[in-house]
Amino acid sequence: MTEIVVTGMGAISSIGLTIAENLYSLKHEISGIKKAKHFKSHYAGSLVFGEIDQSDESLLEELALKKGHGFTRTTLIAMKAFREAVSHAQLSPEDIASTRTAFISSSTVGGMCYTDDLYHDANMQGSPSEYVKNYEGSDHALQIVRFYGMKGITDVVNTACSSSANAIAIGARLLETGKVDRVIAGGSDCLAKFTVNGFNSLRILSEEPCKPFDTHREGLSLGEAAAYVVLERKADVSDPGKIQAVFSGFGICNDAFHPSATSDDARGPRMAMELALKRANLSPENIQYINAHGTGTPNNDLTESFAFSKLFKNVPAYSSTKSYVGHTLAAAGVLEAIYSILSIQNQEVYPSLRVEEPIADFSFQPTLRYTPEVAITHVLSNSFGFGGNCTSLIFSACI
Amino acid sequence: MTTNREELIVEFKEHLIKYLNLLDLAPADIQNDVPLFGEELGLDSIDSVELIVLLDREYGIKIKNPTEGRQILVDVNTIVDYIIANRTK
Amino acid sequence: MYIKDLYAISPQKTHDLSFENGDWKVLNEYIYKAIEPSYQDLIPNAQLRRMGKAVRMGMGVSLPLLGRNPKPDGIIFGTANGGLEDCIKFLNQIVEYNEGTLTPTNFVQSTPNALAGQIALLSENMSYNVTHVNGSLAFESALLDASLFFDEHAKEEKRLLLGAVEEISDYNYNIDRLGERFKKELVSNEELLDSETGGSYCGEGSTQFYLSNNPENSLAKFTAFKQSSHLFHDEIAEFVMRFLEEQNLTASDIDCLLLGRNGDVTTDSWYQKVEQLFGEKPTVYFKKSVGEYRTVSAFASYLAVRLLNGQAHYLIENGATVKPRTILIYNHFDAVRHSLILIQK
Repeated sequence: MTEIVVTGMGAISSIGLTIAENLYSLKHEISGIKKAKHFKSHYAGSLVFGEIDQSDESLLEELALKKGHGFTRTTLIAMKAFREAVSHAQLSPEDIASTRTAFISSSTVGGMCYTDDLYHDANMQGSPSEYVKNYEGSDHALQIVRFYGMKGITDVVNTACSSSANAIAIGARLLETGKVDRVIAGGSDCLAKFTVNGFNSLRILSEEPCKPFDTHREGLSLGEAAAYVVLERKADVSDPGKIQAVFSGFGICNDAFHPSATSDDARGPRMAMELALKRANLSPENIQYINAHGTGTPNNDLTESFAFSKLFKNVPAYSSTKSYVGHTLAAAGVLEAIYSILSIQNQEVYPSLRVEEPIADFSFQPTLRYTPEVAITHVLSNSFGFGGNCTSLIFSACI
Repeated sequence: MTTNREELIVEFKEHLIKYLNLLDLAPADIQNDVPLFGEELGLDSIDSVELIVLLDREYGIKIKNPTEGRQILVDVNTIVDYIIANRTK
Repeated sequence: MYIKDLYAISPQKTHDLSFENGDWKVLNEYIYKAIEPSYQDLIPNAQLRRMGKAVRMGMGVSLPLLGRNPKPDGIIFGTANGGLEDCIKFLNQIVEYNEGTLTPTNFVQSTPNALAGQIALLSENMSYNVTHVNGSLAFESALLDASLFFDEHAKEEKRLLLGAVEEISDYNYNIDRLGERFKKELVSNEELLDSETGGSYCGEGSTQFYLSNNPENSLAKFTAFKQSSHLFHDEIAEFVMRFLEEQNLTASDIDCLLLGRNGDVTTDSWYQKVEQLFGEKPTVYFKKSVGEYRTVSAFASYLAVRLLNGQAHYLIENGATVKPRTILIYNHFDAVRHSLILIQK
């Protein structure tokens, strides 16, 4: 089996504008979920969000892009995280542009993040807005392709909240089958009235910052993030110092139960984890830490815990880092993959914040405080989405 | 504004059919005492949220969460009684 | 990747195969709406009542296919926009009710993966399930995913449901019209290619394939495909010729061309460049039948399979008598994203 490794990472979220800043917040239990500063919505005052602390104007300036060319916030944060990832992996402009480099991105809100402009254009209220050609889900990816002159394979995935986890898996398969030599995979989703009102209409948003795996959890907090990883075949990496972690396996399946809820017996989540373990040639006891999907909704955390109880004789350390950044939708899978890799690199577990009373139905509970000096070789990272999409990824220390 | 209970029942059923897009159903097909979330109509949790929106938009009734809603959204009779007691428009 | 079965709902009468048998619909409209069959016997009312057009058309194609074939080992879809009507309905609610109490059904139905999720749900299929939303290369991305799936499972027989869907709503029509993608004046689809104006007409539909890695009783195969999102006008010839080279083919091996010419004078020159590479070849301009939309290359692939099996030959220009065995599809959208698909008997 071809070994696939991560050689670069980039991330922007509410707990940091770079990987280093994200790591600092994770270690110091600093949550990014609070009242929004930049996001304009009826709910900006009443709900809390994991908002990236950088305005669109500042992002444009930092990226040296001109206003008026249809760069949405989804695109801007994607470009920033993408830039950090390719620079971390020391990819040259020629590497990035090569036909042997694939770019697999993902987004749910995509180019439809400026709800009011879209309303204006969709209902033909006057002359077209700046964004009239930028509403597609794939727009952010196309902007990046254009910026870097990328000639290789592109793809954009939308499987709701498991999107970027699937982007990573597809990227790894492109490498395994020899179709390309390097892959930049990840996703981007920014806060938008569309998603905030969508989740609010389903009554699954928490008024207080979310507390995944607490008995009194009231729902999820929405966040925004973009993150990308660079994947290569281990055999192709000449400098072993570049290797961040091994991508050991994935499991992808469908719960086939309900459009927006997980089945009571968590058959989908369980199957995804089992498939990932099988593909990685590991057994449940090899896993030292699970970065849970852990949204903070009553349904998810209960069913996910149930899946743990069925799969593991002794449930390993687990936590939901959504308690730091909120649910970042399409970006969640790759962001949590990066947090999982940071856990391996630093041999530490970042906790589920704000849990006062863990769900009582089970004999196990999440990690509640930052815990250093934990021996971690293999991490399982879960992402489950609307439409029944379930994906589990496994990252391992490079030996 | 309909004040007669019988008329209100028909009006509510019309809203119900419209909001939930219950194809092929007429108000007369929905029994007043049949549980909405039982076998007969086969409504689910998303429908309960749609019903909460219906009560808000048509009758100015605010129900905070679906759990509270479950006590009220039993059948047509219970809902119409609740509308009569709590409507603000 | 062998094609075992296929089905489509499109602006032509593909749902009952009369299009394939020569019944061509002349369209004199700005919007080429799909001809939808009755779904009553196919989809339970409890589900149908919530479905937007994209999900409905998609189910209308997948349920018959699933009904007459063994359970697939994966469900892979491509759609640029998914349920756009529901999406904008929800958006309109946000603005019109000032982010007040909103109905969730539109939101849940608007996610592009709603269709693949519904198919999994209704056919109780827990297997691999991914939706690609790579704009006007969404179907090509789904094709790539399918080929990866078969590469990984080369040792055992595997089956996939592969499909594409796109719907027109007034809203996305408005957006693309503002974006100058559609014509402002009306000509019939018979004269589409001679219109000498910018833009095209908007189509929609769902096309799906039942694939297997077992060649037995197959209708055709997806031999190869290639995509680009970054190509200059003077690179297109090399892009096409290199693709043929990679397949050990020359221009003369192609029996029939399927070209995405859509009557847009600003971008049709790309197709002319490709046509010049092949000289006088039997050609089908498939957008005359179904209009322009972002996953139309799935329909072109459908048509290619029909042509390879002796159907719809009346659509071939420059040589309707040919019996094609190798068909090349070239399509682009906005002259930005380009796709080549090779389908063989």
